Amino acid sequence: MESVETLVAHIQALSGSPEDLAQLHGLLKQADGDALRAHSAALLPLLPQLHPAAHSLGYLFLLDAFLSAPANLKAHAGGDLLATVANFLVSCSAEQIRLSPDKFLNVCKVLKSEAMQLNAPIRGIAPLRAAVRKVQPSSEHLTPLHAEYLTLCLLAKQYKAGLSVLEDDIFEVDQPKDLFLYCYYGGMIYIGLKKFRKALELLHNAVTAPMASLNAITIEAYKKYVLVSLIQNGQVPSFPKYASSTAQRNLKNHAQIYVDLSTCYGNGSYSELETFIQSNTEKFETDNNLGLVKQVLSSMYKRNIQRLTQTYLTLSLEDIASSVQLNTPKEAEMHVLRMIEDGEIHATINQKDGMVSFHEDPEQYKSSEMVEHIDSSIQRLMALSKKLTSIDENISCDHAFLMKSGRERGRGFDYDDFDSVPHKYF
Amino acid sequence: MDLSTVNAALAAKSYPDLAPICDDLFLQVASQGAATDGWPYAVHLLAHLYLNDLNSARFLWKTVPQEVKDAHPELAAVWKIGQCLWNRDYAGVYTSAQGFEWGPEIADFVAAFIESYRKRIFELLTSAYSTISVADVSHFMGMSEEDATNYAVQNGWSLDAAAKMLTVTKQKPQTNQKLDASKLQRLTECVFHLEH
Repeated sequence: MESVETLVAHIQALSGSPEDLAQLHGLLKQADGDALRAHSAALLPLLPQLHPAAHSLGYLFLLDAFLSAPANLKAHAGGDLLATVANFLVSCSAEQIRLSPDKFLNVCKVLKSEAMQLNAPIRGIAPLRAAVRKVQPSSEHLTPLHAEYLTLCLLAKQYKAGLSVLEDDIFEVDQPKDLFLYCYYGGMIYIGLKKFRKALELLHNAVTAPMASLNAITIEAYKKYVLVSLIQNGQVPSFPKYASSTAQRNLKNHAQIYVDLSTCYGNGSYSELETFIQSNTEKFETDNNLGLVKQVLSSMYKRNIQRLTQTYLTLSLEDIASSVQLNTPKEAEMHVLRMIEDGEIHATINQKDGMVSFHEDPEQYKSSEMVEHIDSSIQRLMALSKKLTSIDENISCDHAFLMKSGRERGRGFDYDDFDSVPHKYF
Repeated sequence: MDLSTVNAALAAKSYPDLAPICDDLFLQVASQGAATDGWPYAVHLLAHLYLNDLNSARFLWKTVPQEVKDAHPELAAVWKIGQCLWNRDYAGVYTSAQGFEWGPEIADFVAAFIESYRKRIFELLTSAYSTISVADVSHFMGMSEEDATNYAVQNGWSLDAAAKMLTVTKQKPQTNQKLDASKLQRLTECVFHLEH
């Protein structure tokens, strides 16, 4: 049995080349059992002898052993320990910590729970953001840290900080739970920033992701999905074909009141919707969705005005006010102005005659910025379609998939239902 | 707490960059567990307003500790501007900006904010109205009727003095329609992709 001091000496000596690191990793794993745990309280004073960036792997093992003992956490329940961990997460070397991702995740989780315990979630944000980047092999990988990071952003009300991980497209997911939480929390961040289109995208993913049995995250995501759909599009689309049958069959039963709300919204009457919401305030409040529900209500004016633009070319402010149930023409003018400011309609107000004329979208799609924009969209879609083709090819070569689809064919299904590969290949 | 980057940006009047600088620095300072009492909340808040990022401003205000709010009337005054922006109280923005004795380090920033806000509102009026009363223009622009009329006429609007109405002249935005050869290359790639 080596003493802890020898181990520290090993760490200092063997943190250079990859071969050395592999050897060190072996040594650390040996020591990790009882040796480190037994002396865990003594490990903290040793950490200053190591450099978080140069000796990341060893540092990680010692830190993890120290943090794994609840007694140690209690004894150092101040902010200093948090600062040490934060400093490590920011400065550690990505190659070294990736040798032992489990321990790294564990350290991150302790950081998060400590920050929450101190009632200072904001303290975990910068370190966890660095940690997410270090632990993921590429920006396309979802890690368990994503959800932890987003929770902290939500709790600390640092919504904008959350965007840094939400703006990457995710293609690789290990655990379904990571994805559900990522989509749900991500949706909440975008809701807070009132970027409803992006919020809808994420919530939609949470609702339609494959699932064998219903989970609570999906139900909550679905409730928000209904509300955001109403705010953004004025209606809730039915489930797409690729949504799991579990979701299609059960979700609505668990969110009946939201389904009723969307039906009521469809009638287009402001006062009716208001009464419905008032009589169900408590239920929305227990779901923590009341704020969002109120935004649904106020989007009603907007929706009704938008509907008018489809029918009329010009309309007096007075008529707008009466048809969308606003009290005065001035109020209608302010609503129209607000919508013009937000780019939701194209119109001009003529105060002299008290008229509003509605226009088509003035964008002519020929400016060079627009070409640039379209071009970048095409590039993105091309990259995406290439990715999809390669995934498709991988799956159609997958042994398990072929076995299963072959078996189902035997059960009397038409093969074309499952694969688009033409028959001539078989 | 090292505020030199914030102060440098303030001194250089690069106001649009301030919000991201403040955001990042704030998170760093917080992660070290340092006290955030001396944090320039007022500047940070105004930086969000300058970018018209009302959501970030709102969330920042919610996280400011109550004692800080009480101790810094300037911060509360900035937030009052934010509230007016949030409620689209167009005239209130000017009155709350003018109704406070700003400290020397922030006074320029407030003035710059008001100027950019006024410009934005004028653009909004230009795109949203074909005719508008002089009284409303002065309301939206936070100017006296005379000043507002002058400002509008200078920007090409015409005045109907009898009816006290301004007719808005919309300026055609200059758009660059020239494309370079690389676009052709991209187009070729795109067609190639579609055919394979």
